[in-house]
Amino acid sequence: MRTDGTLALLDRWGRAALPGTVLLFFVLLTLAPLRAPYLSSALPLLPALVVFQFSLATPERLPGPLLLALGVLLDLLLGGPGAPVGVSALGFVLIRAAVVANRRYLVGVPFLFQWIGFCIVCWGFVALVWAFTTLWTWAPIDPVPAMLQYVVVIVIYPLLAPLLARVRARDPLNVPELSRGGARTGETTL
Amino acid sequence: MAIRDDFEVVAGQVRTVVQRFALGLLVIAAFGIMLVGKADTVLVEHARVLALDVASPVLEAIARPAAYANRAIADLREFASLRDENARLREENTRLLAWQTAARRLENENEGLRSLAKFREGPEASFITARLVGDSVSAYMRGALLNVGRRVGVAPGQAVVTGEGLAGRIAEVGENSSRVLFVTDVNSRLPILVERTREQAILAGDNSPRLRLTLLQGVAGVQAGDRIVTSGRGGSFPVGIPVGEVVETSDGIIRVRPFTDFSRLEFVRVVDYGVTGLVGTGAPAPPPPPGGTAVRSR
Repeated sequence: MRTDGTLALLDRWGRAALPGTVLLFFVLLTLAPLRAPYLSSALPLLPALVVFQFSLATPERLPGPLLLALGVLLDLLLGGPGAPVGVSALGFVLIRAAVVANRRYLVGVPFLFQWIGFCIVCWGFVALVWAFTTLWTWAPIDPVPAMLQYVVVIVIYPLLAPLLARVRARDPLNVPELSRGGARTGETTL
Repeated sequence: MAIRDDFEVVAGQVRTVVQRFALGLLVIAAFGIMLVGKADTVLVEHARVLALDVASPVLEAIARPAAYANRAIADLREFASLRDENARLREENTRLLAWQTAARRLENENEGLRSLAKFREGPEASFITARLVGDSVSAYMRGALLNVGRRVGVAPGQAVVTGEGLAGRIAEVGENSSRVLFVTDVNSRLPILVERTREQAILAGDNSPRLRLTLLQGVAGVQAGDRIVTSGRGGSFPVGIPVGEVVETSDGIIRVRPFTDFSRLEFVRVVDYGVTGLVGTGAPAPPPPPGGTAVRSR
């Protein structure tokens, strides 16, 4: 272990806190009155995008309990009367688990395949939230708005994901054990 | 020394077990939270209100620049159609002037008749002006967050209006923030009157931009273009706030377009009608505000 100066310490803390902070920002952003057509309807799914991307890049800096807490916060802020609290938390935890289980594959493949991976995982997330909300409120809920959200966030993914992916260290061997996944030297996303 | 070693061994084992079953534990925790939320709704309400109160200053900081940007975009759009807009407004102005004359005449007549009949007016309404700091719009909900709360006298069930008409009602109230449920939300049920026929009905939202008229006695009487106003039943809403107009009557399904443009809301007024009755969540009405923000109407 190196002995660190204050600046290096701050740097390390900053790095450790970055994914959580970005996720918190996007959770709060879901409520921001942006009023951009289509974009604002997709805002509630952006945290799921962030969870996917950071689970791919640095899962050790986005631990499960943190996801649980932020998911509950999202549900509390977003939910109306009767909406289940904790369903986003469940979704986040499952996204992380799905990504971490397939990291070996996902970090090595071209961007297009990561996008397809996100399409599949996000579909699961939307279906989960819709199913639970329907069960919980015991009322038929029109699935079309949820589908629209899904389509918009899929389109947004290529714009946002490369930006979020910058937190990832270039060489997968130059990172802690957990975030290395099954990657070998030379297997980089870029 | 041996005790410490034992402790470290046990701690290590516990850590291994926790790591192995981390996913399962997290999933169980999420389900646990959901079940607690279902069982103890009061606790969840408190948590929601707390989260709103904590988040609303942050949201207000985000909302201001967003509002400026939105306004700039809207200005640009309007600039393009300035000439048409002007012609339309001039035409509307002449029409409104005619209405103004009629209104003045009716007001005088009304006053005269009221004094003759010794008519007692309902409780006077006071208004609390609020800024929209957050959208609470998702695939499952239509609502918004306001920057006013219990401190200035906002209570659950109060009506929220704009210049155009009714926007919704207060659903949750924090110390300095509150959540509006729009009339378009799937949980919204509003007692209304068809203005022309004075028929009572319920206006229900279903998360789409159009509202649905239900529990109407005679469907035949309603035509497209009829204005819909609040009926004041349930106690907490004033009578006669415009809500929308009928745009479609087919096969017994009557669709109503709300007057409020929900995509452009920036400021709203919360109407404190004095009585927070059956529509609220059962919370007692707060004492009248100490003055300042609440403005009593004439």
